[in-house]
Amino acid sequence: MTTLGYVVRRLAASVVMLFLLITLTFALYQAIPANPAGFLVDMQKAKPAAIAEAEEALGLHKPLYEQYGLYLWRLAHGDLGIAYQNSLLTYQGDRIGKAVGPAVVRAAMVTGALVLGGAVLALLISIPLGAIAASRPRSWLDRGILAFSLIGICTHPLVVALLLQQFPGRQWGVAPPSGYCPFFGTAGEPAKLDYFSLSQDLGCAGPRAWTTHLILPWITFALFFLAIYTRLVRVRMLEVMEEPFIRTAAAKGASRTRIVRHHALRNAMGPVLTLAAMDVGLALGIALYIESVYRLPGLGLTTLSALNGDVGFDLPMILGIVLVVGIVIIVLNFAIDLIVLWMDPRAAQAGTRRSAVGRIA
Amino acid sequence: MSATAATGPLEGLAPRAESPSRLAWRRLRRDRAALVSGCFLLFLLFAVLPGAPLLERAVGHGPNDFFPFAVDVSLRPVGPWSWVPDTSMVPGIDETTFEQEAPPPGTGKTLLVLGADGTLGRDELLRLLYGGRVSLLVAIGATLLALVIGTTLGTVAAFFGGWVDGLISRFTDLVMAFPVLLLAIVLGSTVSMKLDDITFGGALNKGVLSLMLLIGFFTWFYPARIVRSLILSLRGREFVEAAEMIGSSDAKIMRTHLFPHVIPALAVWATLAVATNIMLEAGITFLGVGIKLPTTSWGTMLAATWGTVLSPLPYNPATFSPWLTIIPSATIFVTVLALTLFGEGLREAFDPRGVR
Repeated sequence: MTTLGYVVRRLAASVVMLFLLITLTFALYQAIPANPAGFLVDMQKAKPAAIAEAEEALGLHKPLYEQYGLYLWRLAHGDLGIAYQNSLLTYQGDRIGKAVGPAVVRAAMVTGALVLGGAVLALLISIPLGAIAASRPRSWLDRGILAFSLIGICTHPLVVALLLQQFPGRQWGVAPPSGYCPFFGTAGEPAKLDYFSLSQDLGCAGPRAWTTHLILPWITFALFFLAIYTRLVRVRMLEVMEEPFIRTAAAKGASRTRIVRHHALRNAMGPVLTLAAMDVGLALGIALYIESVYRLPGLGLTTLSALNGDVGFDLPMILGIVLVVGIVIIVLNFAIDLIVLWMDPRAAQAGTRRSAVGRIA
Repeated sequence: MSATAATGPLEGLAPRAESPSRLAWRRLRRDRAALVSGCFLLFLLFAVLPGAPLLERAVGHGPNDFFPFAVDVSLRPVGPWSWVPDTSMVPGIDETTFEQEAPPPGTGKTLLVLGADGTLGRDELLRLLYGGRVSLLVAIGATLLALVIGTTLGTVAAFFGGWVDGLISRFTDLVMAFPVLLLAIVLGSTVSMKLDDITFGGALNKGVLSLMLLIGFFTWFYPARIVRSLILSLRGREFVEAAEMIGSSDAKIMRTHLFPHVIPALAVWATLAVATNIMLEAGITFLGVGIKLPTTSWGTMLAATWGTVLSPLPYNPATFSPWLTIIPSATIFVTVLALTLFGEGLREAFDPRGVR
């Protein structure tokens, strides 16, 4: 199979997958007993005419396939719709409210800040730790690092989040225990936490406040991935250290440090970084725990609020989030595929990927 | 020299052939970490299954009994190992001293081994044990479900190949990249409404079935991949060809020649999966989609001091009781650690070369 064919096939599979996801979410929504008209009028008190008007404004009077078709049509034009929650009916019978697109993008920025910062922290620590462990296999240092990473893997991220929030956050006052401050903006003016906010509006802003409020979430996120990646880097390093070119380097007189740094680590890093990008799905799951404990208005907390609103399930918001998350993951996976292909063209034939490991998120 | 010539003086010196499972068992027995974890897991099963009702009998109250006297005026629950008045009566508060009035004379005392679980004053240890039942049931049930679906689909994919294999593998690949937790809570909050009431005549607690199905449905990809790749690699081997040559049916080859090779890998996966499923149960429940109160599970206990996503409990340093977070945290940690160590021990016992 040619490389081009491989790329086209993967891209097609991704688009089909995204389409299936949207359809599935849409279909699932029909299984919920609640009537979305409840978002606009009080279902207990409103007259049937008012309920019918609300249903018409939401487009519910049309048959299901037409609603679905209309959604896809607007989606194709980049319109994600208006969230059900906190929307109003005007006298003209139109519905006004928060646009899903900007709200999801804003939430994605918060999650992005959490995941990127945490991932950088995790990689910065786990790569040296793994390299140190692998440079002296079966020594006490190696065993200690392995034991630490085992403890990290077996600890629920929620537990880490709760304990960090409680002790350094609340009791010792090292860092703010919850809340989020936007990076841009000025302190004092209420932060634009779009959509309905489960997170408290702290009225703070600026790079400094942003950093301090993200310290504990970053550490929580990093501790989990630190444990996984230290093990991974160690195993990869042990594999690379057995390669002939390491022996060549040793034979020509390179020092141990130089071998580890310049010869082994460089070759071990490629696959590790690929895996890091592939773990984005897992990372978003862990971020969901962290966002709900620390009350960060990211994708996870927005999903939870859209699911658990007073009236029910906010379909446009959920569809928007599933779509954005899906696109991010598909684009990343696609990028990884291209990188792997670029490094090793044989991958187009084998299509080999990472072996299965358990996931907790 | 043929083997028959060696009978006689060399009898007994030749290594006896041992079955792979016996060999694995011998190696497992030598692995101290795995052995200790195995013992702990047996102890846990004992504590949770017969232990919970036994303890209930011994202390004389149940996991859902309230002891308002176990909570002081500022709503702070008592700590581990406290004797509290054995009454569900809400204590009166003295108008002048703002202290709890004494319980009515003649009330006995009852022991809360790990203290009270919050403002309602229920027995933390009993709730931990009964919660363990729910958590382990969900974790094990979901793992079995994933094993059944995964093994079936993996076998189908490997055996039929072609477009069936392509479809299953592609689907597996793509779904594995997605945030399972996000999909699980979206699915959970819609579908579980309909499934929550199915309890099989009270055999399962409310919400257990839907959580089991949910986790099982999102984890079958792993056993499917394991089974598919193992069967694909075994199919071309000589012993399978030999079996085909003597005319064995596909079903017989599967049963007697392929499955014995798949079982060790699946056993290792299942052990580790129970560990991750315990964490998933706690996580999903914590986020408000899984087990609902008053049924207790380790997830609901973890959220005890924190509240729910929609209404987090305000923090008050005067009444905060850290052990309510620490007890379920430590329990989950130790259980997951034991399962992980046992799983790694199993892996090493089955395949000592493949492990670093």
